[in-house]
Amino acid sequence: MTKTKQKGLRALKFLFLLLLAILFLVPILLVFMNSFKSKFYIIGSPFSLPNSETFAGIENYIKGLSSSGFFAAFGRSVFITVFSVLLIVVCTAMTAWFIVRVKGKFTKLLYYLFVFSMIVPFQMVMFTMTYIVNAISFNNPIGIVFVYLGFGAGLSVFMLTGFIKSVPLEIEEAATIDGCNPLQTFFLVVFPILKPTAITVAILNAMWIWNDYLLPYLILGTGQKTVPVAIQIAMQGAYGSVDWGGFMAMLVLAIIPIIVFYISCQKYIIKGVVAGAVKG
Amino acid sequence: MASITLKNIKKTYDAKHTVIENLNLEIKDKEFMILVGPSGCGKSTTLRMIAGLEEISGGELLIGDRVVNDVAPKDRDIAMVFQSYALYPHMSVYKNMAFALKRKHEKQEEIDRKVHAAAKVLELEEYLNRKPRALSGGQRQRVALGRAMVRQPSVFLLDEPLSNLDAKLRAEMRTQLKKLHQDLQTTFVYVTHDQTEAMTMADRIVVMKDGVIQQVDTPQNLYNHPSNQFVAGFIGTPQMNFIDAKLAAESGRYFVCFDAYRIPLPDRMVKARDLADYTGQTVVLGVRPEDFHGEAEYRLKTQRNLIHLPVDQAEMMGAEIYLYGEIGKTPVVAKIPSAEPVAAGDTAALALDMQAAHLFDKRTGDAITD
Repeated sequence: MTKTKQKGLRALKFLFLLLLAILFLVPILLVFMNSFKSKFYIIGSPFSLPNSETFAGIENYIKGLSSSGFFAAFGRSVFITVFSVLLIVVCTAMTAWFIVRVKGKFTKLLYYLFVFSMIVPFQMVMFTMTYIVNAISFNNPIGIVFVYLGFGAGLSVFMLTGFIKSVPLEIEEAATIDGCNPLQTFFLVVFPILKPTAITVAILNAMWIWNDYLLPYLILGTGQKTVPVAIQIAMQGAYGSVDWGGFMAMLVLAIIPIIVFYISCQKYIIKGVVAGAVKG
Repeated sequence: MASITLKNIKKTYDAKHTVIENLNLEIKDKEFMILVGPSGCGKSTTLRMIAGLEEISGGELLIGDRVVNDVAPKDRDIAMVFQSYALYPHMSVYKNMAFALKRKHEKQEEIDRKVHAAAKVLELEEYLNRKPRALSGGQRQRVALGRAMVRQPSVFLLDEPLSNLDAKLRAEMRTQLKKLHQDLQTTFVYVTHDQTEAMTMADRIVVMKDGVIQQVDTPQNLYNHPSNQFVAGFIGTPQMNFIDAKLAAESGRYFVCFDAYRIPLPDRMVKARDLADYTGQTVVLGVRPEDFHGEAEYRLKTQRNLIHLPVDQAEMMGAEIYLYGEIGKTPVVAKIPSAEPVAAGDTAALALDMQAAHLFDKRTGDAITD
């Protein structure tokens, strides 16, 4: 009796998760499908598969790539994402280590400031921030990396402190006795132990930084476009007309890197989140 | 090879909370010294000060002839084994052991030679490529020891290294550690709360309580001549029995009186010290469980020291049997050979070996006789 009940429950769970998966996959599939259709057929029948009449081959891709300055934008996006993520991971790991190991009023305050920064909406600070960024000439691909460090730090510090609390202090003391100075202790011993959580932090930040539209638009403007800005601007014609074909093709190209990155690291994301949750 | 000297060592936290007031201790070269005491007695703090992991608030710490108060841990020529082993989880056994040597920029061949030599002694050769998480508790413990050994330090510091192992493995490791000490001919300072470990391995034992050294002596002397009631109670299992008794004197002879008993003190005790000051006062009689004798021939020999213990509970331990009961209102444990026919509910006739008994000052707890 209970066994059949359990089986039923499992089937129900499976069905629910399947539906959820489809719900998430459909939009991506739609983008992919429509990127091969000629632009006049996309609005009319977005859900139909391309056929001999509607199939446009890679025409959309060629048109998109040639018109949007996609390659330059792609390179800029890669630069910004890679360096922002690197900076976030290294800096916040050190900060989190400092917060956990040096106990005091100052570090407590620092921790709460980081946590607080997570709940402040971006829109609240965007105008003042843009003004300051312009004033100190950070409105370039290198400067924006530091701006991303600020926006990514809250969640990252929060996750990493949770994990570092579970790292026994004795391991660091052993390193001290073995001849490490604090910097060596961090990079040779603590940081490698943090790897799963650090990778999780990297993935989470890489995803939103890669996809971010508003911040680069505000800071870099249309002069130094990132991928999302470039696509939007290139495909939006005059009088609200949109080249949906090119748009879809560019979207496909834009999501490929982040999906590949996610899939290759996804086993760590679960490990990292669980480690933080259970031990933190 | 080095001796360790602690001179008027003081440790305070936040300038208010004093853990160790004034500690003086001399650990000889190549000695196996064990610090033992209940938790919070300051034994681990003392060890960590020797290691350089805790700052010393006052006094002087010497390793050999060198004052090391302000010397970094890595330059103190020490190695430490931690309770949780503290292995680097992301490194293989080999890398764990080679880590300190790499930091000292030793030659690769030299590192290789030392690691393999240590691995051979500790029977770890086949595990050198494994990560710590793929090892059992005992193996991890040996890696931690190996990591300390390869550095060939002049002092080994061990902080409760066996407390995470099961009972059987612990007994095995005790023998191994003792042997290791003999082979390495190095100073060992070992912290534990387990008096069995202390008794079985140490050359000398430091018994600590509330940051104060109670006694420093060989295991044998601690057991036979505890300097106070705390040491007497801490060393030996089951614990020594403490019975409040009145000291009486009659025509040059002394007696301890408790419950309905009046037991003469042996000449040894009387000669050792002038007991006149304590006459008529309450003292504490200390008798180890094994100094109660249930054997018939013993009872016959010491008629005057016979007591009758109503047995509430009898615990069969194999070779011995533990008898629990009360004399007056004082709980008492006796340990007699299991061949004696005693069961719960019986009243056991037990002879008290007064030659091995102790007397303590009721107020200060200090030993009156040694």
